[in-house]
Amino acid sequence: MSDQRWFTNIPWGIVGIVAVIALIGLTAVYSATYTSRGPSSLYYKQLVWIAVGLIMMVLVLIADYHTVSRYAYVLYAVLIVLLLLVMVMGKTGMGAQRWLAIGAFAFQPSELMKLALTLALARYFAQNQKGNGYLLTDMGVPVTMILIPLVLVLRQPDLGTALMLLLSSSLIILLAGLRVRAVLIVLIIGATLISSMFLIPPVKKKIWGSLKPYQQNRIRAFLDPSSDPLGSGYHANQSKIAVGSGQITGKGFRRGTQSQMAFLPERHTDFIFAVIAEEHGLIGAGFMIFLYLALLLTGIDTAKNAKDRVGALMAGGIVAMLSMSVFINIGMSVGVMPVVGVPLPLVSYGGTSIITTFLAIGLLLNIQMRRFVLFY
Amino acid sequence: MEQDSPVDIQRSLPFLAAFIILFMLVLFTRLWFLQVVKGDYYYDLAENNRIRPVKIRPPRGIIYDRYGRPIVENVLAFDISIVPEDTPDMAATIRKLTSLLKVDAGSIRTALDDAAETRTKYEPVKIQEEAPWEKVAIVEAHQDELPGVIVEPEHRRHYPYGGLGSHQLGYIGKVTQTQRKQDQADLSLLIGQGGIEKTFDKFLRGASGRRMIQVNAAGAKVKDLGIEDPKPGMDLYLTIDLDAQRAAEEALGDRAGAVVAMDPNSGEVLTLVSHPNFDPNLFPRGISPKDWVRLANDPSHPLYNRAIQSVYPPGSTFKVIVSLAGLDTGVIKLDDKVTCAGSIKSGKHTFRCWKREGHGTLSFHRGLVESCDVYFYTIGERIGFDRIARYAQNLGLGTVTGIKLPDEKPGFIPTPAWKQDRLHEPWYTGDTYINSIGQGSLQVSPIQACQLIGAVANGGVIYRPNLILQTRNRETGTVKQTSPERKGRVTIDPAALEELRKALIGVVSEPGGTGHGAQTPIATVAGKTGTAQVIAQKDTHKKLSGATQDHAWFIAYAPVENPRIAVAVLVEHGGHGGGAAAPIARRVIEEYMKNVGSKMVH
Repeated sequence: MSDQRWFTNIPWGIVGIVAVIALIGLTAVYSATYTSRGPSSLYYKQLVWIAVGLIMMVLVLIADYHTVSRYAYVLYAVLIVLLLLVMVMGKTGMGAQRWLAIGAFAFQPSELMKLALTLALARYFAQNQKGNGYLLTDMGVPVTMILIPLVLVLRQPDLGTALMLLLSSSLIILLAGLRVRAVLIVLIIGATLISSMFLIPPVKKKIWGSLKPYQQNRIRAFLDPSSDPLGSGYHANQSKIAVGSGQITGKGFRRGTQSQMAFLPERHTDFIFAVIAEEHGLIGAGFMIFLYLALLLTGIDTAKNAKDRVGALMAGGIVAMLSMSVFINIGMSVGVMPVVGVPLPLVSYGGTSIITTFLAIGLLLNIQMRRFVLFY
Repeated sequence: MEQDSPVDIQRSLPFLAAFIILFMLVLFTRLWFLQVVKGDYYYDLAENNRIRPVKIRPPRGIIYDRYGRPIVENVLAFDISIVPEDTPDMAATIRKLTSLLKVDAGSIRTALDDAAETRTKYEPVKIQEEAPWEKVAIVEAHQDELPGVIVEPEHRRHYPYGGLGSHQLGYIGKVTQTQRKQDQADLSLLIGQGGIEKTFDKFLRGASGRRMIQVNAAGAKVKDLGIEDPKPGMDLYLTIDLDAQRAAEEALGDRAGAVVAMDPNSGEVLTLVSHPNFDPNLFPRGISPKDWVRLANDPSHPLYNRAIQSVYPPGSTFKVIVSLAGLDTGVIKLDDKVTCAGSIKSGKHTFRCWKREGHGTLSFHRGLVESCDVYFYTIGERIGFDRIARYAQNLGLGTVTGIKLPDEKPGFIPTPAWKQDRLHEPWYTGDTYINSIGQGSLQVSPIQACQLIGAVANGGVIYRPNLILQTRNRETGTVKQTSPERKGRVTIDPAALEELRKALIGVVSEPGGTGHGAQTPIATVAGKTGTAQVIAQKDTHKKLSGATQDHAWFIAYAPVENPRIAVAVLVEHGGHGGGAAAPIARRVIEEYMKNVGSKMVH
């Protein structure tokens, strides 16, 4: 195929959506971190991360996604090692050990693990096909693959990423085709376990006690935000006030009182959506939701058009991963999800998250471009 | 191909799509609810919900003496401050303040301008510190007319004994630029800038808490919302005995000098005095430029901690080391006699004894008791200064003791090799002579002298001087004891040590001994006087006084049978050690021995 063909095969729709989301995100980070002496260095760093992310995205396009898939287990293993390293020598931030320091940069392996697990599961299910759907007994290997990073991430402790890993890999298993009966069994066992967690006092005590105080507080605050408006419920309340006070048209760029006056905590990372909602109102926030919806549906389209199993599973898995991030993050900003630290893809400040997302998008493009069997 | 068909996966994709669309709808509905349905409500909340976190500074740790008597405290004071962001009309507020509080409008503006550089948003600017209660009451009563004006309770550092122990206690002050970079100290806190306040700042500092107050759109306080308590600093129990410290300060009086006392069995510092001293109470609120200039330019250097930062020739106290070296190496035989005719010659130079008419013939014991210079010239030459220097170094001279106070000086022990290297001159017999009686290039700090005599008392163990007996966490009540830290041990022949001790007792109690001033009925004292020449020996025929008069030294320990205290006293330009310094040591020993065994009072 000629270069011309290659170029025209780039799915410009996805690229366009991604670019608009990243740009809006960048302006939000600019606004949220603006200091009295001008734009903060975080804004410039974010600019660099996005540039690096774009380059990584293009690099991922060059190799065939089958090649990428062949290295899925290796990537997964490397990240497990990195997660273990974090446990041993990681940097502590906000009461949890999540970062590895590489020179001046802090690298968060748990972010990249989300993508690695998705790719590893996609490869596993593509290689081990079952005509009539999987039985529960077929789940030994994939469940182990999920549990190892899950436990490591929980130990950090990073409730948000753990929740992400659990939900998005569950979606992938469903996508790969679990038999209906198996799904029902899991649901019943899960419901029993969770209710016993709350109803049997010793079990409840054990699990509750294993949480860090700030995690307990956050869960308490989610169940009843008004209980302690200055302590644990503070984040949730301030975020809701920020979102609600934006009303329909918003207060204007850099004019959000909640965001600018530092009432809103973690406003450039976990609560960046509240900044957008406060400054640009329902119009801006609704537009963001529309953009994410468009991106995710294009991703599903990619999965539908994929020429083989591994492509479909990879694309579907990436959509599952991105959608969970979006749901949990926005849900937390508007008060329908508990406050756990999950970044908003392409928008929240943070190098590892930005790069991981661009890599994922790059893979989607890759699958989309090589969708015709003809190219194989 | 069949094996690789994605068809079954693609069948379940619509469900994923439906799930995504559904959830996005939920989020959008929620947005609609928050922003449209309840938009006005949240908008009002955001407008009126002006919650200000007001920092509550932590109380610094209290410092007690070894018996639990407070020597550094905190006193609650109220400051009147202004939050510019909450003050819509600054000019009007300043007018109101000047009329209500009778303060100068100019000084308020200066305070605001000065703070503008470093403060963060909503950080209050102090406009009157330690306001009297009437003014506090006025501000509280006129809250409505004084938007943005608040009363901040503060813990003011107070040193109830003024200059007492000022050099070891230190003082606190504003965070400097370098400190801010180094340990990200909270800019609004006053932190230790000297002495224990500085070296143990991490313990004493504590951590800020905050009070959330709600203010209305005009910036006036509506109500208190809650408090996150500050973490108070740790309390320190020093090894200092307040009574002994005070006795030493009084005994030294107006004279410049230093007194250091330690427990020879642990290195616990019992007194640490440096005169002239300064009043640390001048510093906590930012010292006035006038006071600072006065302190910094004072020719007597009151900020200088003479106990650890000043080094002096040890004078005859150095004979303790020469004696140890001589006895331990066997060079000094107890019945070897030396005849002192008032001077000794080496080449063209004559080296005098302090006693012009000479001591006659004497052996080691009387040689040390009477501090005969000619005896030690002779012995020093026999031992060789290399060996003497080694003993001096092993006993801690020439290196810092490691006391946890800022800027300790190591002092200096010359050696023949050093002289050759640095001055390109050979070491003459004359060098051995003058250094053997503690003159020449030797330099010793009072705390080193104390450590040295402590090692004689305990049989050769060098302890790192310890200032802290225990720390106490005020919140949990947890008490942590410190333990003695051995820096080294010198093995000395016990018989040699015994002979030295006998002679040191003789210095204080035998006829002709130079240290009678240290005699006390309550304990047997062993000690050695010293006189450090300020100017060269040949000029001694002139009448010396004032700044040209010699420094007086005295080092001692007591009780000899069961040593509890080692003391070093240095009186600058005090004249003879026996006359000026020994009585000070006696006072400290008496005062400390009175309290030994007392219980700590909490």
